[in-house]
Amino acid sequence: MFNTKISRRDALKAQAAAVAIAAAGLPASALSQNLVTRAEETELKWSKAPCRFCGTGCSVMVATKDNHIVATHGDVQSPVNRGLNCVKGYFLSKIMYGRDRLTTPLLRKTNGVYDKNGEFTPVTWDEAFDVMAEKWKETLRAKGPTAVGMFGSGQWTVFEGYAASKLMKAGFRSNNLDPNARHCMASAVAGFMRTFGMDEPMGCYDDMEAADAFVLWGSNMAEMHPILWTRITDRRLSAPHVKVAVLSTYEHRCFDLADIPMVFTPQTDLAILNYIAHHIISTGRVNTGFVNAHTVFKLGNPDIGYGLRPDHPLEQAAANAGDSNGAKDMTFEEYATFVSDYTLDKVHEISGVPKNRLEAMAELYADPAIKVTSFWTMGFNQHTRGVWANNLVYNIHLLTGKIAEPGNSPFSLTGQPSACGTAREVGTFSHRLPADMVVTNPDHRATAEKIWKLPDGTIPDKVGYHAVQQNRMLKDGKLNAYWVQCNNNMQAAANINEEGLPGYRNPENFIAVSDAYPTVTCEAADLILPTAMWVEKEGCYGNAERRTHMWHQLVNAPGDAKSDLWQLMEFSKRFVMEDVWPEELLAKQPDYRGKSLYDVLYRNGQVDAFPVSDIEAGYNNQESEECGFYIQKGLFEEYASFGRGHAHDLAPFDAYHATRGLRWPVVDGKETRWRYREGYDPYVTAGAGVEFYGHKDGKARIFALPFEPAAESPDDEYPMWLCTGRVLEHWHSGSMTQRVPELYRAFPDAVCFIHPDDASELGLRRGDEVRVISRRGDMLTRVETRGRNRPPRGLVFVPWFDASQLINKVTLDATDPISKQTDFKKCAIRLEKV
Amino acid sequence: MMKPINKWLMMACGLIVIGIAGAAWAAEPVATLRGGVAIDRETTPPRITQFEDTDQKRPRNYPEQPPTIPHDIDGYRVDINSNKCLSCHARSRTGESGAPMVSITHFMDREGQFRAAVSPRRYFCLQCHVPQHQTDPLVINDFVDVDTLLLNDARHGKE
Amino acid sequence: MRKILLRYWKVLSTPSVHYSLAFLTIGGFIAGVIFWGGFNTALEVTNTEKFCISCHEMKDNVFVELQSTIHYSNRSGVRATCPDCHVPHQWTDKIARKMQASKEVWGKIFGTISTREKFEEKRLELAMHEWNRLKANNSLECRNCHSAESMDITRQSPRAVDAHQTFLFTGEKTCIDCHKGIAHHLPNMAGAPGWQ
Repeated sequence: MFNTKISRRDALKAQAAAVAIAAAGLPASALSQNLVTRAEETELKWSKAPCRFCGTGCSVMVATKDNHIVATHGDVQSPVNRGLNCVKGYFLSKIMYGRDRLTTPLLRKTNGVYDKNGEFTPVTWDEAFDVMAEKWKETLRAKGPTAVGMFGSGQWTVFEGYAASKLMKAGFRSNNLDPNARHCMASAVAGFMRTFGMDEPMGCYDDMEAADAFVLWGSNMAEMHPILWTRITDRRLSAPHVKVAVLSTYEHRCFDLADIPMVFTPQTDLAILNYIAHHIISTGRVNTGFVNAHTVFKLGNPDIGYGLRPDHPLEQAAANAGDSNGAKDMTFEEYATFVSDYTLDKVHEISGVPKNRLEAMAELYADPAIKVTSFWTMGFNQHTRGVWANNLVYNIHLLTGKIAEPGNSPFSLTGQPSACGTAREVGTFSHRLPADMVVTNPDHRATAEKIWKLPDGTIPDKVGYHAVQQNRMLKDGKLNAYWVQCNNNMQAAANINEEGLPGYRNPENFIAVSDAYPTVTCEAADLILPTAMWVEKEGCYGNAERRTHMWHQLVNAPGDAKSDLWQLMEFSKRFVMEDVWPEELLAKQPDYRGKSLYDVLYRNGQVDAFPVSDIEAGYNNQESEECGFYIQKGLFEEYASFGRGHAHDLAPFDAYHATRGLRWPVVDGKETRWRYREGYDPYVTAGAGVEFYGHKDGKARIFALPFEPAAESPDDEYPMWLCTGRVLEHWHSGSMTQRVPELYRAFPDAVCFIHPDDASELGLRRGDEVRVISRRGDMLTRVETRGRNRPPRGLVFVPWFDASQLINKVTLDATDPISKQTDFKKCAIRLEKV
Repeated sequence: MMKPINKWLMMACGLIVIGIAGAAWAAEPVATLRGGVAIDRETTPPRITQFEDTDQKRPRNYPEQPPTIPHDIDGYRVDINSNKCLSCHARSRTGESGAPMVSITHFMDREGQFRAAVSPRRYFCLQCHVPQHQTDPLVINDFVDVDTLLLNDARHGKE
Repeated sequence: MRKILLRYWKVLSTPSVHYSLAFLTIGGFIAGVIFWGGFNTALEVTNTEKFCISCHEMKDNVFVELQSTIHYSNRSGVRATCPDCHVPHQWTDKIARKMQASKEVWGKIFGTISTREKFEEKRLELAMHEWNRLKANNSLECRNCHSAESMDITRQSPRAVDAHQTFLFTGEKTCIDCHKGIAHHLPNMAGAPGWQ
């Protein structure tokens, strides 16, 4: 021991001398080698972690040394990415080191006291939470639980989402909790629930190596899910019989691999989907045995409105705005008649897609010999008829029985690393509880209350404010104490000028924002809480193929930055039950009197059941060390008890640190790759073959739903479509990737992609400054007539990653009336040269 | 005659109002990426810059990092028919082109086996390799590479 | 029949009695000029981009591809139109090319490439025509604008300098050898020399 110390010190001395010589400009002849060769010094500690960015759920290997991340690369052991990362993933090492990391709480103050119009001033955590708790208590006293709310994230860890759900729904008794995943895949959720009665895909990524054809419905996977795109590319180029069909409202990088490229008029995907169903029926290729055994037909309510404020003329005019989710039974024959309207000629006419391509794509579905996988993301989900689009694509897989088996798969991709894990499975939506349960169902509430050890009646039975509604209620002064964690909603939500900004700056409101970097949401807040990110804390994510995966804390957060989980727990300590629960509820559970929210929610004998010594040796865990128990393990095990035995089974906590993740349901230690199919899914009744057990009758729903126009279409005053989205190099609002120099310099600023003929007609040149104007606001950007995106005449594309160019000042906050997800892909604009 | 005056007056009033609001915002010490411009105001979008085209290799942050592209790639197509990058960087082309050969890892398939040619999973080069615009980083990044850390270790050892 | 032919021959071989020789010569010359001019004007009309893209086959396939390339928009604003690259500038070659083009009219009438799919199927064949022509004439249409003599390589990127010095100035290669696909998308390049 003594000896090694001596020798190490000697070695370092020698090195230091060499450094000194080198620094003095002398030849480093004293150094015997110009390569550090001692194992002791060159050894790096490699640990696994999921990528911080998209919903693909790649695993990365992270090298740490001296509390720094020094390298990252794709994990060869992960079945998701097998050693690959996209360019963002390869630069994960640098996302935490932007110089402007927030390291201390900042409160708006004037003359030393909180002032909504004051300047951000550094404060201690104690002061920050004192002021914040006081605002929450005031609000609860004055207006009750419906006036407090929280906006969370599909980038929260499972632990954080679950802790927040308990804090809001049980602690503050408010369902005003929604994740930014509302903007991202709420339509997919509602689509799953309507068709199958159960959320999340039946298939998995293994479908990609088994399929003969891929159809992309509004998904630019080449940029947004690059690693899944490598798997599709691999399949397409390795097996020449494989076909790729790509549908979009503009040409993007996926078209580079397309055998059947299709640019369609926005919103007409609904008609194309019905045409395919009609084609399958009219050419006699319905899988009758499958359809009779496993499906029933439903006529969905049409004319359901556009999720705008209730006084908007479009809502007033909609016949079924009040019952958007309604449907009634119908027969196959009635359904066949319904879709027979969508002839090839008619659909070609309204969509603008050449007939031969429509037919070629329809054949990929109709031909029983072709295994077809459909993918979609925001093109479907960010759609005022997004739930319908999801339902309609399931229709064509169900009509042909091409579902829930290798290669035959309707596959909803997700945008965020834990949209599935944290937002959907944990149930951080305003209507949800864990394991697909909902707050409006008394049995579900009772189940949650039992597991959480709460008196019955604790969880409110009304659906809370969803994401878009939260901004509206902030503006209207009905939501007054508001906490935003792990997202940048001022930049991300539609209609900043009319809803978001007035809401945050409403003098009646107190807004706290937790983030690692100073985002525009921080700027609009009253209190900024510096937050630990990614591997600065232990975490758990759930990806798009139901894979739950975990990571350890690998480095410490800078300064006073703390994880969202720590913040939630610390905040809960500032409330006693009498502050948040009414007397009648406390009377049912007198032993909770005088206790803190922290005691009731997190020291309930379950969450605090595991000792700190359970933490794997060699890893820090800041939150657990502070609270004295293995908080993440306790939260996970309590949460997992919701799903075990209910087709949402998770493995024991420790299994996830030992593997590259597992796809639920995990039964008897075995993950499930294809659900609803006997032989793969242990929940299917023996002998059933296929069973859609989400619905009580074991059958999936085939919905008859019409084509209906968009909420806002181009007209004389605003003659062009605006579509917004992302680019490969930047993640969402760019708060991490814009701070990585290599990623910033790869795609520095937002631009307006436009057809060169449209540009020249408007007198615009490439690089010209241009004002993008809608009925709601305008923003400045520059004209791009070249590059990766090639819009058709009459449509422009502007990415939203750029904090300096807020395209969401222009977008419309119309939502799907069923899912409440905003349509960021369609509104009407005009361009003016500056 | 009245109309334009009214319009100007209104615009002036509007500007004053915006100016006051803007001033309240502009004083914030929280420096977002908006360069001090308030959320409800517009920044001047930076000019579109060209790609660096020096052909000088840039040192990597760590050996596992994919190298950035040190040249302009305007008009280089990579699609189902052809891959312009490989017309220089393919093993067989490097003799004539003088370009670096694609890394040996690119010949590995999903199972980790080496194939006779670049694996199709690596076909779309731009998913990992990106060119760099002639512009300065937006925010300084304090990532420290491992060599610097070793050097720091050494410096500490001396003290 | 024979009688009719003889009568016409008689008219043609008999000297004019109504018009003077001068009138006939000058008139004939003017008529010739008009006819020749008309022919050339017509030829020139077919030699414009506007004419080329009046067919949707050209507009929807190759022209849109050109629009995002440097030959359509670039820093100096000198741009190439279709005939600059695809029609020889010398008269005899031009006429030869125009006669070849009659096949394209045929193709237009019978819809040989009337859809994108058909065009993609023929893309390799069509590209080969152009590559072979440019290879045979030492990239003449490229060199009409890009002369090696006027090229100031100090204003080029290091990669371009090396390539031009090694291959272009030595005559080892001609423009089209390296610059395939510079103005349009490429066909499937499997097995093409210089490509993987």
